[in-house]
Amino acid sequence: MEDKATKDILSDEEVRRLVLARLSVLSSDTMISLGSEGSFTRDELVKRVENGDAIGEKLAEIQMEWLRSFKSEVEMSA
Amino acid sequence: MKLIVTRPQHDVTTRYISAWAEEVIAFAKVKSIEVIDLIKDKAKRKELEGRIKKLLPRLIFLNGHGDHDSVAGQDNDVLIKAGDNHDLLAGKITYALSCNSGETLGPKVVENKNTSYIGYKDDFIFVADGRYVAKPLDDPRAKPFMESSNQVMMSILKGHSTQEASDRSRDVFREHYIKLTSSTTDIDSLQAAQFLWWNMRNQVCLGDKDSKI
Repeated sequence: MEDKATKDILSDEEVRRLVLARLSVLSSDTMISLGSEGSFTRDELVKRVENGDAIGEKLAEIQMEWLRSFKSEVEMSA
Repeated sequence: MKLIVTRPQHDVTTRYISAWAEEVIAFAKVKSIEVIDLIKDKAKRKELEGRIKKLLPRLIFLNGHGDHDSVAGQDNDVLIKAGDNHDLLAGKITYALSCNSGETLGPKVVENKNTSYIGYKDDFIFVADGRYVAKPLDDPRAKPFMESSNQVMMSILKGHSTQEASDRSRDVFREHYIKLTSSTTDIDSLQAAQFLWWNMRNQVCLGDKDSKI
């Protein structure tokens, strides 16, 4: 989350808000299995992201990598 | 031809991947492959080591939790660990539906000749529906993830090379990804698509990429 390429796109706080926005619209019965960390409900994940723990950081990393992949595609096609 | 499958079932994640591995086991039997199904308490290190040494299987399908240098079985008993017993997978084709083991364990395993390892270099993530925990095979939200993963083993069992199997699996991930990103009715679809993309991106095919059964 600290590298320059990431900072060029969004700040940590902006990424966190983006992840929370996406999670908050999920169905209440949705569960997400995050590998060895376990399975979490929507509301559990929202709390994790709000608290900024390892799970929240992981979701932010995935969000950021996903956005970065679009940025790369745009740059390649430009 | 023999296939060893490990299927721990001690939490939601392992119950899901264990249930969906049944599809692979059924197909292997159709292909007249002898399946050694190490389920629940049989998915332990001692049992796996003994079966590999005695039966010399060509194919290994590991389901379970993992980290960068190991894959675990029932109750997280470490089955295969880099620098410890990774040579047990020498000369074999292994698919690990497990987190992170493509990072260190996989590269260590394929230091052996004629050895292939397909796995994930980061977390394998999937979406499920809490109403289907007791019947994972009916869970429509888990289906795109499990079908994409299972494609690795299905392709190998059809006689494709390990690289082709990984490519076909990634194609299925991509197909589901496109479907989900274009959905206008499912509010969970975009988040699920993101995790499909993540898994597809992190799947690695290591070692002998031309290996076939």
